[in-house]
Amino acid sequence: MKEKIIQHFNEIFRDAPKTRKALDLKQEMMQNAMDKYDDMVAEGYLEEDAYHNVINSIGDVTDLFSETEEKNLLTLPEEDRKKRAMLNAVAVGLYIFAATVFFFFSSMGNNYWGYNFASFGFVIALLICIAPTVMLVYAANMYPDYSKKEKSDMVDAYKATKYSKNKELAVKKSIYSVIWSLTLVLYFIISFLTFEWRYTWILFLIAACLQAIVKLIFDLKNVEKDDVL
Amino acid sequence: MSITSDILRGHTEAIILSHLLEHDSYGYQINKDIMKKTNNAYELKEATLYSAFRRLEQAGCIRTYWGDETVGARRRYYSITEKGRKAYADYKREWQEAREIIDQLLN
Repeated sequence: MKEKIIQHFNEIFRDAPKTRKALDLKQEMMQNAMDKYDDMVAEGYLEEDAYHNVINSIGDVTDLFSETEEKNLLTLPEEDRKKRAMLNAVAVGLYIFAATVFFFFSSMGNNYWGYNFASFGFVIALLICIAPTVMLVYAANMYPDYSKKEKSDMVDAYKATKYSKNKELAVKKSIYSVIWSLTLVLYFIISFLTFEWRYTWILFLIAACLQAIVKLIFDLKNVEKDDVL
Repeated sequence: MSITSDILRGHTEAIILSHLLEHDSYGYQINKDIMKKTNNAYELKEATLYSAFRRLEQAGCIRTYWGDETVGARRRYYSITEKGRKAYADYKREWQEAREIIDQLLN
């Protein structure tokens, strides 16, 4: 009978958020249920009756779940949103800075002191680009892009898929911004290097293709997942 | 009995606090005491009880700690805080006032 009690608690806590608080609550309620069961059996109740009494006296636990949500990833706090926005903004700024550095060096002319300043500037610019790229990927993973605060009475499975979709969307968006920022930088760099402005715009078409490819990859991944489901 | 249980449920927190005034306790013990005091007329649903525990804890009226049971799983104990005692005193006073007013109005 005690096994059945444990099973019952596993059942009703199945849709609970997977947090420390929820686990503690489950343990507390289960221990109290066991105490009650033992008392009733000691008083002479049949095991079956004691079990049903204990189960019936639990009541509706779903309201308790909303109180056990801690860092629930679907309720994105303000600070995280701000952090992510700041990281994105700084990253774009750094990309522009990288481009500026490159222009600065290229404008100093070639073969000054025996160095080709343009390529030097190019390398510096690329090195600078490392920082914003790292920022964007970090922001996408640390602070999932989620704008609304959902009500907490959703089914856990739906929550799980929603969270993974949002994370995926965040990663996708991050990849897109990386693609386009790099494209912009490359466009200006190559255009100023070669002055073939009539051709270099093709870079943007290439970027669009890259973006479509990334989207395809994500969609294919999703299709595979759905097939398994 | 349905109206009574609704009314009583609103006082769950005060009832819990009053049980913690003398000594610390845990969920089932409190419920058992309630059943004994009311001669089995009233029993709190577990969900109601734990909801009240969380609210009291958030309000700073009670503290909680895990017991160090030697046998069986560990139990969660609650103890009342100074803030809780004060809240209980306020609540009891307000309840007396409310009871007097209702008695007067229902006459």
